[in-house]
Amino acid sequence: MPASLSELIAALPAEETEGELPARALPEIVERLALRPVPVGRFRRIAVLGTLQAKIFAAYFFHWLRGWFKTADENKRLLAETHWRTALRVLDSMSYLRGAVMKLGQTLANFPDIAPREFVETLERLHFDAPPMHWSLLREMVRAELGDDPENVFAEFDKRAFAAASLGQVHRARLKTGEEVAVKIQYPGIARTIREDFRNLMPFLLPARLSKDWENVKDQFDDLRMRIERETDYELEAANIEKARSLFRDDEGIVVPRVYRQFSTARVLTMDRLDGVHIDDFLGRDPSQAERNEAAKKILRAWYRMMFTGRMLYVDFHPGNFLFLDDGRLGVIDFGLMLHLEGDEWEIFRQMDRALTTGRRDDRIAAMKEWCHIADDETDRIALMDEFADWCWRSRYCGGEFDFGDETDFRRGVDLFIEMVRRRYSRARPITPTTSRQQFGWRSIFYRLKAKFDVRPICEEEVKAAGWDRSDYATTI
Amino acid sequence: MRITAEAKTATRQRILEVAEELFRTRGFEATTTRDIAQAAEIATGTLFNYFAAKEAIVTELAADSLERARGEFDKLSSEAETLEEALFSLVAVELRQLRPFRKYIVPMLESAFCPLAAARRNEPGDELRRQHLETVAGLARRHGLGELSAVALQLYWTLYTGALAFWAADKSPKQEDTLALLDESLAMFVAWLRTAADERK
Repeated sequence: MPASLSELIAALPAEETEGELPARALPEIVERLALRPVPVGRFRRIAVLGTLQAKIFAAYFFHWLRGWFKTADENKRLLAETHWRTALRVLDSMSYLRGAVMKLGQTLANFPDIAPREFVETLERLHFDAPPMHWSLLREMVRAELGDDPENVFAEFDKRAFAAASLGQVHRARLKTGEEVAVKIQYPGIARTIREDFRNLMPFLLPARLSKDWENVKDQFDDLRMRIERETDYELEAANIEKARSLFRDDEGIVVPRVYRQFSTARVLTMDRLDGVHIDDFLGRDPSQAERNEAAKKILRAWYRMMFTGRMLYVDFHPGNFLFLDDGRLGVIDFGLMLHLEGDEWEIFRQMDRALTTGRRDDRIAAMKEWCHIADDETDRIALMDEFADWCWRSRYCGGEFDFGDETDFRRGVDLFIEMVRRRYSRARPITPTTSRQQFGWRSIFYRLKAKFDVRPICEEEVKAAGWDRSDYATTI
Repeated sequence: MRITAEAKTATRQRILEVAEELFRTRGFEATTTRDIAQAAEIATGTLFNYFAAKEAIVTELAADSLERARGEFDKLSSEAETLEEALFSLVAVELRQLRPFRKYIVPMLESAFCPLAAARRNEPGDELRRQHLETVAGLARRHGLGELSAVALQLYWTLYTGALAFWAADKSPKQEDTLALLDESLAMFVAWLRTAADERK
C-alpha cells in the first residue's frame, strides 16, 4: 500500500541550491548541536516549520529519492556531503519540532541502511534525548493538571526528564504508596501546534491538487491530522494502555505498564516505570541469535494479540516504543496512536487476513483493490502493488524460518515502496498514512535484530486465542 | 460627623469585597459604580472618595494578589537555573494568584498597567509596576546581566502586559497556551538582553 505522506513529500518543491558546507565545519556544528538545549515554544516551532524545516526536509527527501535511481558512484558523489549537511540541519531544526513533523522524521528513522546512517542516528537522538521543558514550566503544567506541585503530588519527582516523547517529556517519580512511575507531561499548547503544523504543511501539498486523486489524498491527510490530534489526549492513551494491558498475562513476557488514573489527565500520564533498554543498547550487548529471535517474537506476539484479540492496531512502530528488560521481558510503551478496528475497518482487515494466510495472488489483488480503490484496467498499478504486498506478507504465508536480516530482501521492499511513491500511487483508504507507519516499522526493527524465525505459528496461536473462525480459508494452507 | 480611620478602612474593605463579588457574577462591564455603592451601602459619591474609578478597584484587588505572589516567588526563585526560568516562575505565580480576576483584568491592563502609562505618576498601578520591575531587575543582576536599561524594562513590561492580555482571553484548556507564549516571549527577551550585553562588551 502506498504511504500518502511519502507521496506528499515527493510532491514538494525541488531541492534547495545552497552552497556546500565546508567539511571541516562539521565537527564544530555537531558539537554545538549536542550542547545546545532544546527550546520549547510553539511560535518558534511554527517559524521553523514555515522556513528552514519544511524546505530542508523536502530537499533532503527529494534528493534521496532521486539519488536512489542513479548509479552508486554518481549517487555517492552527489549525496555524500549533502547527507551530513542535511542531517545536521534537520536535527538543528527538528529539535524545535515535537509535533507532526517530528513524526515524519520518526518514520524515516525506520529505514536503516536506506536513509544514510548519520541521518538515522541524528533522528534517533530525537527519540531518546533529554528534552527541554524547564522545571518552572513543568511545575506549572503539573499544578494545572494535578492541582499541586510535583513534589507534593509525588513522594519523589526527578526534575530532569529521562526521555523525550514527540509530544512531551517523561520524568521518573515515586508515588507516595511506593510505586516507581514514569510521568509523561505534554508540552503546553501542543494540540494547537499540531493543528498549525498541518496547516503550514498544506501549501506544500498544492502540487498534489493537480492530481485526479486530490480528494482522496486530502481525506488521508485529514485522517492523519485527526489521529495525531487525538494522540494529544492522554486520557485516550490511558484507555488504550488499559485495554492493551488487559490482553497479556504475567507469564507471557510482554509488559504493558499500569496507568495510575488518579495521577493522570488529558495532559499528564502516570504509568509504571519499566526499566529496560532500547534496541541500540540491546544490540550493543551482542545478544545471541536465540535472544534476538525471542525479542522479535515477543514484538510480533504483542502486535498480533492487540490486533486479533484487542482489535486495535499498534501502528507506532518506532524503536523507542520497545524496551528490552533485564529479565528478558519486552516492554511496550506509547499507545497514543492506536487504530481501533471496528465495522468496515475490521472487515477489510479480515479480507486482508485471507490474502495473508492463503498467499493466493487473487486474494492479494482483491484485498489491494478494495483498500486502494484500484480499477480493473489499472494493470501496472495492480502488478506493482501486488509485488509490494507479496514482499510485505511473504513471511506470513510462506511459513518456515524467515530471515528478516536479509539486506537484499529488505532493500527490495524499499525499492518497491519508492517506485510506488515515484509513480504517485497514493489513492487509498483515509487511514493509510496511519497504517503505513507500521509497514516498514516492524520489518525494520526485525531487520535490525537480524531475526530469523517462523511467524506463522505465532499468528495461528493468536488467531486461535481470539476465537476467530476463519476455517473457510485457513484450512487451505 | 467625623469618620474614624478604622471606619474608613472597613468601608474600603467592604467596597473591595462587594466589587469583587459583582465583577465575578455580573462581569466588569455590566457592573456600575452605582451598583457597587449600593451593595456596599454607601452613597455613590462616597465611593469616589475611596476609588476614582472601577479600574482602580480592580487594581487594588490585584495588588493583594500580586503581593501574595511575590511572597510565593521568593520561596521559588532560588530554584531557577536561568534568568528565563526565573522570570517565567515570577509571572507564573502571579497568574496563579490573579486567576480570580482573569475575566476582568483587561481594564486594569488598559489603564494602570498600560505600557504607555509609565510617564504618569501616582497612578494606582504605578507601585505595582515599580515593585514588579524591581524584582525583574534584581533577577537580571543575579543572573549576571547587570543593570537593565530603561529600554529593556519598557520592552519587558510590554511583553509582560501582552502575556497578561493573552491570558485574559486564552480559551485553551487551563490556559496552557499562555504558558507556551510566556515561555517563548521570555526566552526571546532574555536572548535579546544577552545579545545586547555581548555587544556592550
